[in-house]
Amino acid sequence: MAGNKGRGRAAYTFNIEAVGFSRGEKLPDAVLKPPPLFPDADYKPVPLRTGEGEDYMLALKQELRETMKRMPYFMETPEEKQDIERYSKRYMKVYKEEWIPDWRRLPREMMPTKKCKKAGPKSKKAKEAGKGTSLTNTADVLKKIEELEKRGDGEKSDEENEEKEGSKEKGKEGEEEEEDDAAEQEEYDEEEQEEENDYINSYFEDGDDFGADSDDNMDEATY
Amino acid sequence: MTQAEIKLCSLLLQEHFGEIVEKIGVHLIRTGSQPLRVIAHDTGTSLDQVKKALCVLIQHNLVIYQVHKRGVVEYEAQCSRVLRMLRYPRYIYTAKTLYSDTGELIVEELLLNGKMTMSAVVKKVADRLTETMEDGKTMDYAEVSNTFVRLADTHFVQRCPLVPATENSDSGPPPPAPTLVISEKDMYLVPKLSLIGKGKRRRSSEEDATGEPKAKRPKHTADNKEPIPDDGIYWQADLDRFHQHFRDQAIVSAVANRMDQTSSEIVRTMLRMSEITTSSSAPFTQPLSSNEIFRSLPVGYNISKQVLDQYLTLLADDPLEFVGKSGDSGGGMYVINLHKALGSLATATLESVVQERFGSRCARIFRLVLQKKHLEQKQVEDFAMIPAKEAKDMLYKMLSENFISLQEIPKTPDHAPSRTFYLYTVNILSAARMLLHRCYKSIANLIERRQFETKENKRLLEKSQRVEAIIASMQATGAEEAQLQEIEEMITAPERQQLETLKRNVNKLDASEIQVDETIFLLESYIESTMKRQ
Repeated sequence: MAGNKGRGRAAYTFNIEAVGFSRGEKLPDAVLKPPPLFPDADYKPVPLRTGEGEDYMLALKQELRETMKRMPYFMETPEEKQDIERYSKRYMKVYKEEWIPDWRRLPREMMPTKKCKKAGPKSKKAKEAGKGTSLTNTADVLKKIEELEKRGDGEKSDEENEEKEGSKEKGKEGEEEEEDDAAEQEEYDEEEQEEENDYINSYFEDGDDFGADSDDNMDEATY
Repeated sequence: MTQAEIKLCSLLLQEHFGEIVEKIGVHLIRTGSQPLRVIAHDTGTSLDQVKKALCVLIQHNLVIYQVHKRGVVEYEAQCSRVLRMLRYPRYIYTAKTLYSDTGELIVEELLLNGKMTMSAVVKKVADRLTETMEDGKTMDYAEVSNTFVRLADTHFVQRCPLVPATENSDSGPPPPAPTLVISEKDMYLVPKLSLIGKGKRRRSSEEDATGEPKAKRPKHTADNKEPIPDDGIYWQADLDRFHQHFRDQAIVSAVANRMDQTSSEIVRTMLRMSEITTSSSAPFTQPLSSNEIFRSLPVGYNISKQVLDQYLTLLADDPLEFVGKSGDSGGGMYVINLHKALGSLATATLESVVQERFGSRCARIFRLVLQKKHLEQKQVEDFAMIPAKEAKDMLYKMLSENFISLQEIPKTPDHAPSRTFYLYTVNILSAARMLLHRCYKSIANLIERRQFETKENKRLLEKSQRVEAIIASMQATGAEEAQLQEIEEMITAPERQQLETLKRNVNKLDASEIQVDETIFLLESYIESTMKRQ
């Protein structure tokens, strides 16, 4: 081994002949790249088994694959809409039967989507109805609805409501307006203005509500 | 869970349930159990889609859920169960060979739907069978129901865990998820159902084409309104029982190859006798006396008691030890050593893989090392009677491919190579694991190749489907031969050839998938049985 050192060959701590290299033979180069993706096979693979059973299983497998695609369990990804709808696409749509899971066997959190779905349109409808009737005294009714929604106390009469609203507004708005309010309340004419004021308030609040409403809408759209 | 397994799971889920389910499923396999919100957040999928995907996965027994403290429900994927989807064709085919078409359809429906109530299965299968029958004939519910009972009696189908009936007396809020329980004794108990009726035909266009007047078809009363009698009792295919059947078949055919048909028939009888009494994971069958075996031999199998005893002695003396003798009472008690049998089958698989990949001389070295347990390099060269240089080359090749492993035994504590024994040995368990891993990878590759082939020819395939549809509809309306031919010619000769090639390739790839899965089954059974004994 010592003799090898001088000639630049790496010194091994073991007898190199033990692994099959004779003295003086060139060692293989270090491999610096990954093995080929499709290496040559030294031996040809044996042919596949064939027979009646195999053929039948093959047919079963291919049929099963097609059937699975038509089952209600197959969730399709929503594909992007094409600019031109292909006529043939309409006929290629496969009919799928409905699948209603047995909710008793599933965790409760799997199903609350349904509850939301029902709650959504109902509340919206109620609002719409409110809007419809309130064409004459929009401000009052809207205010009332909001009031009801906010506090959940539906037994109060209009007047009580108004009074409360008034007092609440005082707290809410700036002091200047509070003074204005106090002065204006005495005059008959100014009542209208107050209503207008109210209207503006409720308008803003409605805006808030509108945001919530659109949320509802969005929820519904996803279902 | 290795990368190869995850990849294969992903391909299988995608092919069976679409991309969304695949995304959720693979996420669960990678991360372990997770609550709903976290899954939705991590996968960037909308909550609704996650819910639906989870429902699908739970329905197919691919995901289980568990309630943790503070009422959080966590979902966990069953990776090994996902891989079983590869074997669905084999389960269905087995049901066909055992219980004919009715059994086939029952198992197929159960596998397609994950779990179903018995009444739903019976109705569906009867309808499907009726559709394939000649006009005027129908399948009786009772007949299908009989086959179902037989499948349950032989444990090929079993009940899913039940939701226990709850009394709503306590006012506390209901738990976030039901706890499913299964009682052992009810597992295979078929509910008493009075399923009366016959399969119904769908009004298909084929039928109309035959010109049958509709009035001729038997009329059925609408029985859809009745409450379902077995509501909530769901059934599933018992895959472990199928695996037991596959294992038994493999053992029987191995005995037939090694000895002869008669001995295999004896082993088959022994296995059949202990089918239900022995659990599928037991290392031995129950001891059977030779008298019992003699009585249970299939009728018409004319061998005398003496011949049977000779065969049993021969089998017990065989070095592979498929059959062992456990006592002398009752004319000799015999068992089948299932664990040993699986070991022999796995070893034979390894040997044949080495032979086909590296050639017969490598296989000789492999068998030699296998037989002698530990060998030094010099001994391998001598015993195999192969020139030293070639023998080294082969040995190293198998070593680098992990079929053979190397054990160092140092003479001195410094592990100096010159003072160390290097012993070559075959670790069957680790080699089997390595081969199993390669099998998973091969199947994933096969599926990817198949998908690639289909994608490449997508347009052509769609065209041929359309043409076929047109021809079918024209035949139904009674078009002339010339017209049909004209339409058939819409696919040109080169296109037809391309379609043929595609079909051949896809068939080959599909058949390979099925056959690689058979190797997977053997290796998995061996690994499972070995792990249980340790």
